[in-house]
Amino acid sequence: MHNIKVLLVDDEREFSETLIKRMKKRNVDITGVRGGEEALQTLDQSPIDVVILDVRMPGMDGIETLRALKKRHPLIEVIMLTGHASVEVAVQGMEFGAFDYLMKPMQIDDLLYKIQDAHQQKIIQEQKIDNIKRMTSGRE
Amino acid sequence: MIRRLLSRNPDVERLDTEGLRTEFKARYYAFKLLLNANNRALEIMADMEEALKGTRPFGMNFVSSRCTSVSASVWQMIRHLNELSPGNYEALYNRFKEIRKKINPFVKDRGRLREGPLVLILDQVERTMADLVGGKIANLAEIKNRIHLKISDGFVITACGYQRFMSYNDLQPEIDRRIQTTDIQALDELFGLSASLQQLIIGSSIPRDLEEAIQEQYGLLEEREGRGITVAMRSSALGEDAAGISFAGQYRSELNVSKENILQAYKEVVASKFSLPAMSYRLNRGIRDEDVVMCVGCLRMADAVSGGVIYSRNPVNIRDDALLINSVWGLPKSVVDGNTTPDLIWISGAEPMEIKHKEIAFKERKFVCYPDEGVCRMDLSGEDGAKESLSDEQALELADMARRLETHYGCPQDIEWALDGDGSFVILQCRPLVQASAGDFPDLMNVWEGESVLIKGGTLASPGLGSGPVFVLKKDMDVMKFPDGAVLVAAQALPRWATLLNKASAVVTEQGSIAGHLANVAREFSVPALFGVQKAMERLQNGRIITVDADGGRIFDGRVEGFLEKTVRPKNLMLGSPVYEALKGAARHIVPLTLLDPDKTSFRPGNCETFHDITRFCHEKSVHEMFRFGKDHQFPERSGKQLFVNIPMNWWILNLDDGFREEVEGKYVRLENIVSIPMLALWKGITAFPWEGPPPVDGKGLMSVMFEATRNTALVPGMRSRYADRNYFMISKNYCSLNSRFGFHLSIIETLVSERVTENYIRFQFKGGAADDQRRNKRVLFLMEILEGYGFGVEVKDDFLMAGLEDQPKENMEKSLRILGYLIIHTRQLDVIMGNDQKVRYYRSKINESIDEILSVQ
Repeated sequence: MHNIKVLLVDDEREFSETLIKRMKKRNVDITGVRGGEEALQTLDQSPIDVVILDVRMPGMDGIETLRALKKRHPLIEVIMLTGHASVEVAVQGMEFGAFDYLMKPMQIDDLLYKIQDAHQQKIIQEQKIDNIKRMTSGRE
Repeated sequence: MIRRLLSRNPDVERLDTEGLRTEFKARYYAFKLLLNANNRALEIMADMEEALKGTRPFGMNFVSSRCTSVSASVWQMIRHLNELSPGNYEALYNRFKEIRKKINPFVKDRGRLREGPLVLILDQVERTMADLVGGKIANLAEIKNRIHLKISDGFVITACGYQRFMSYNDLQPEIDRRIQTTDIQALDELFGLSASLQQLIIGSSIPRDLEEAIQEQYGLLEEREGRGITVAMRSSALGEDAAGISFAGQYRSELNVSKENILQAYKEVVASKFSLPAMSYRLNRGIRDEDVVMCVGCLRMADAVSGGVIYSRNPVNIRDDALLINSVWGLPKSVVDGNTTPDLIWISGAEPMEIKHKEIAFKERKFVCYPDEGVCRMDLSGEDGAKESLSDEQALELADMARRLETHYGCPQDIEWALDGDGSFVILQCRPLVQASAGDFPDLMNVWEGESVLIKGGTLASPGLGSGPVFVLKKDMDVMKFPDGAVLVAAQALPRWATLLNKASAVVTEQGSIAGHLANVAREFSVPALFGVQKAMERLQNGRIITVDADGGRIFDGRVEGFLEKTVRPKNLMLGSPVYEALKGAARHIVPLTLLDPDKTSFRPGNCETFHDITRFCHEKSVHEMFRFGKDHQFPERSGKQLFVNIPMNWWILNLDDGFREEVEGKYVRLENIVSIPMLALWKGITAFPWEGPPPVDGKGLMSVMFEATRNTALVPGMRSRYADRNYFMISKNYCSLNSRFGFHLSIIETLVSERVTENYIRFQFKGGAADDQRRNKRVLFLMEILEGYGFGVEVKDDFLMAGLEDQPKENMEKSLRILGYLIIHTRQLDVIMGNDQKVRYYRSKINESIDEILSVQ
């Protein structure tokens, strides 16, 4: 797990701190930020594989953050994690490219699996792109 | 640039081996995620079906979170299927959208905003305004304005006032979030949630306009009633009547509040919407939180000489028309809270009314108002406590008022009253009385002569019989430890014990009254309750099994068999409730499977009626797409290999990812080269014993096969489908699916086995046979019995069987797969002997022996 870089975006301090602590105990390389703007700044500066994104946040909300994030970093996989069950927002999130939409509370192991799956997805996408690049450069 | 590359459909034909490998890997991964999502969707659907049995409580958060999860999963399946075959399944998105539209109304916020005044003087309130001021206040106003009985003057902070307060602080989304993130089935978590929500509300501020409106009304009340008067702040919730009940009695009232504290008391009453008893009550009754709006009555505080509750009929016997008065000294608070045993006065229902029977209790305490604010508890000395708190004349006057109210409302009433200093009665609240039926056990007294009676006495508060181990409640925190099915024993019949009424088999208290909140809720939940049992705390020890006969006022040692069976089961309160109906409405578009036969032309996206149909369609097509790829692309590494164990076998294997130890170029794959955990487990079962061939068929069995062969063209050689007698495995290290046809039998196994316990599953489908319907159906039942014996969940319809096993650790999954492997080989053709019971028994025990042997092998 330590080879996967995870960013947690959640304004709820208590939840964030607990989750980060528990994730670190499981060898996850995870950092946390409190909002969408801050998340985008972090992503511009350091490489991240998987983002766990809260839906309801003050300022830039989860969906806005997701859109901006996917525009700038299409290969980063995003897992939405929320305390607000909403069919609308779930579907919207997936349409904008979220890897999955999970609801609090959830088993820590299930979240770990999701992070692994999302990371695997990212690797595969990268390999596909390498292939396409290889093919196109071979043809030229 | 990257986006463009990704969105481009890769030109698969031109890919080199390396490219094909990546492409295949990506496809397998999409397939795997599709299976994950499928599995999750099916689990949620099963969860919804289980909830629809109505036997356990759930809230709106359950409904909306399940709907959201299942939507996310189904949407993912569509996405992954389209990744497997770009452009071919886009139509599914539209079907999804349409089905979602049908689900929406059941899960969408229905908090409609009301237009109206924030506060309202009681004089202006009419009965029809219940949805603005709550049932309690609407009734009180009616009593004053129409029936002309005395009530306390005052005003009400309306539903609009409540909404103003909630929206000003943006409370609802935060409340929803906290509820969703709590496991509300666990009492300790519910306890924490209740505390945090109440603090949230009490810590919020009241908007300026609402504050001003309240102050203005108080000023006007002062003008009418005198300067500096105190008030009682009474909850008047609306929304509970949606479930066919008039009042739950779980909310707070603040008595004798001074001017300075009205706003604080208002918040406290509103916060009591989230008190533990209120939350668990709503949960058990299927009432939506959002539907409960707290209106608060602000009424001039009347100090009472005596007070209590009068029922216009017998609350525990629907056939009895006698009136019952509960009366104590001071405020009626102690009757309602159940901490004092009140005087009981029975008055005959027939005219002229007369006192039939009196039980004057020793009233240990009374509540009276402090001059400035608050209520004080006074212990009563011998003489004062023993005196009757209501004279016969007063009792009859009260009974007459009760009958007038009953006549006006047209049904039995439950009335809280106070006797003012000037000798007149003030009605504090009036609501329909829920009568429990009693007398279902007429000959109980005689039959139980022989049983050992532990305790005799006590007052019937809720009829019925209940048995279980004693659990004594001494302090609040004991609530957390209360075991399911125990008998609740407590000193006082406190409203807060109501939280446990969905768990308790009976209630026994030393003090308390039939008119208290606990008794009310016990009757509603059909939990037998016996109050006023002397020294119950001392005489009943924790863990001791007792049987409570509430009607007979007796407690027996041990479990008295023979009669408990006849007791009325606790009412199923979820059925028909708003929350239940919301789930039912949404589930109609999620759970049913209408798209059944993949071989039919109707198996199309356009015919998906439900989310289940979409999952079924996606699953079927994804398997199909996975098979196709290796064939379509002349990619020998990823096309089916024939299994080679000494000789080429009739088993074909498609490696999806990492199912082989090393890549295979030729036609065959050797067993040693296979590393798929689930396939190897299945294979062990398949090859554990040689098949003995078809069972010897008796004349009838053979006839049945011949008859079936003439009817079923699929059985005629040459017309078999292309899969006939071919067995296909699709494997990866952790995944395996097996499609097998042995003669006339079709079985499908799909399984995932890895270290991720929560993702592990086995799904098994079985259909067909050569014999007639009856024998085939019997064989399926035969299989079902065996599978259930080994922990599978099984469903059977005609000759079609579906079995599943989930969330087991790897070793258990492997064992179960060995059993399945054995069964698919050795139960084929057993249908022909199903007409013969003796043979059925023989095979049954033989199969069990063999499975035991298989399981004992390491």
